[in-house]
Formats: sequence, structure tokens, C-alpha cells
Amino acid sequence: MICCKECLDLLYDYLDDQLAPEVHANLEEHFQDCPPCVAFLNTYKTTTNLCRENLSKIEMPTAVQSKLLEFLKREQSKD
Amino acid sequence: MDLKMALDPKEEKAAEKAIEDELVRKLQAGNMEVFDQLVERFQKKIYALSFNLTRNQMDAQDVTQDVLLTLFRKIHTFQGKSAFSSWVYRITLNASYMKLRSRKKDQSVSIDELLPTFNKAGFQQEKVQDWSENTESLLFANETRGIIQKAVDQLPEKEKVVFLLRDVEGFSTEKVGEILELTIPAVKSRLHRARLFLRKKLSSFFEEYRSGEDK
Repeated sequence: MICCKECLDLLYDYLDDQLAPEVHANLEEHFQDCPPCVAFLNTYKTTTNLCRENLSKIEMPTAVQSKLLEFLKREQSKD
Repeated sequence: MDLKMALDPKEEKAAEKAIEDELVRKLQAGNMEVFDQLVERFQKKIYALSFNLTRNQMDAQDVTQDVLLTLFRKIHTFQGKSAFSSWVYRITLNASYMKLRSRKKDQSVSIDELLPTFNKAGFQQEKVQDWSENTESLLFANETRGIIQKAVDQLPEKEKVVFLLRDVEGFSTEKVGEILELTIPAVKSRLHRARLFLRKKLSSFFEEYRSGEDK
């Protein structure tokens, strides 16, 4: 039976589905008996999702795109 | 039929890389017309990554400009030891770090920039919306975003960049290793530490929020 520390150390590979079947099964067994680790797993996953949702929507403003294109055209014409 | 629909993600990536390699080969051979296509492919990604690192629109704009100019002028120095995109992102990270370093001397934020502005008659120039009906959901969403940004800004540089590339930009662990020239275990370790740090920060916020809701 693995302990909570080991469980948390394995979270990354568990979520990436990179654990050996035996280790994976041990971890699942731990989750069945340990609600705090289940809570930790859920919040760890949610953290990643929340951060992605909030930070991945960076849009380049149209004005910046236009300025950039003008700048590059000017620079290209110098060469 | 849309070709992309028929390809699985791995095939799609390989096809994208083949197109990219061809564009680079042409540019290196002196065909400057393909430069626009490379700009089209990379400008938004460069901007987003730089913005998330510098959290400043002007800096992200400067970085995007500098990186694209570097691609145009220094394409002959690209030796193909890693994927072209990895080279582009490395240049982006270096340019962003330079911006951050030049700004470090003056970390203070100008409060003046955030104050309301008025016209000569003393009326507010900005459009003021009445959001009083939706305070809860609006406040919650904005607050969440603010907490996340602040927490990410507090991450040490080494962890932050891995987190942004892997979890925000969505690159594979292998690709992040290639961009940063790190081993896979090093990428995993830094990302895990970043996630733990962020989880802790968000936990404090959400627990406080929930306890406030229960009252």
C-alpha cells in the first residue's frame, strides 16, 4: 500500500497515463481509501484546467497585427 | 474533403512540420516571399507566450516584432538541430526575459494609469457599465483570473516557463524539453512543482470564497 506522499509524487505520471500497470493499480487502491488524496487529485486537475482556460485566451490585438505587418514590410524593403 | 479532418493528430503534426521545414528551406534559399507565411504561422503564438511572461501588451508587441525580425535576418543561422518551432520559441523566451530584466529596476506599477480619466468638463471619458446586477458571477470570474495571474507571476522563472509552455500553450513534455534543452524528468519535476504551487494558491482563494458563501 502506498502512502499519501508517494501518491502525490505520482500524480503527474498518473494523469499522463504513464504509470506501470501495477503502480497505477496501487494508486487507484490508495484513492479508494483516502478521500483527502482524491480531493487533492481533483483540485490539482482543476488548477491546471482553470489556468489553461484563463491564460490561453490571449488574443493579439488587430491593431498590433497591423503595426507589425507595416513594420516588417518596412524592414524587408531595407534589405 | 478537408484534409485536416482525415488526419489523426500525429499525422497532422508531421504534415505541419513538413510544411514548416519546406518554408524554412525556401527562406534559407533566399525566397523571401515565404516569410509572410511564417509570420502568419507564428505571430500569435509568439505574442501569447510573450504576453503571459511579461504581462504587458507593449512588451509582447516589441518581443513579437524582434523575434520576427530575427527570423527574417538570421534564418541562415538556423541549423536544424531541433525543430524550427523550438528555435522560434527559444528566441521568444530570450527576448521576453530581456524585457523583464530591463523592467526589473522599476517594478512599481503606476496607479495613475488605472485611475478614471475625465474630459475638460469633468465627465468620465470611459464608458461606465452598470454591473451591479451580476456582481457575484462577474466578480468571481474576474477575481479568479486575477488570482491565477498573480500566482503565475509569483512562480520562479524556471517553473513558470515550463508551466506556460506545457499547460497553457499545450506543448508535449518532449517538445518543452526540446525548447528549453531540458531532460524529460527535469520538465516533469518543474511542472509538477509549478502545479503544486498554483494549486496551493488557488486553494487558499477558493476555500476563503466558499467559507464566505456559507456565512
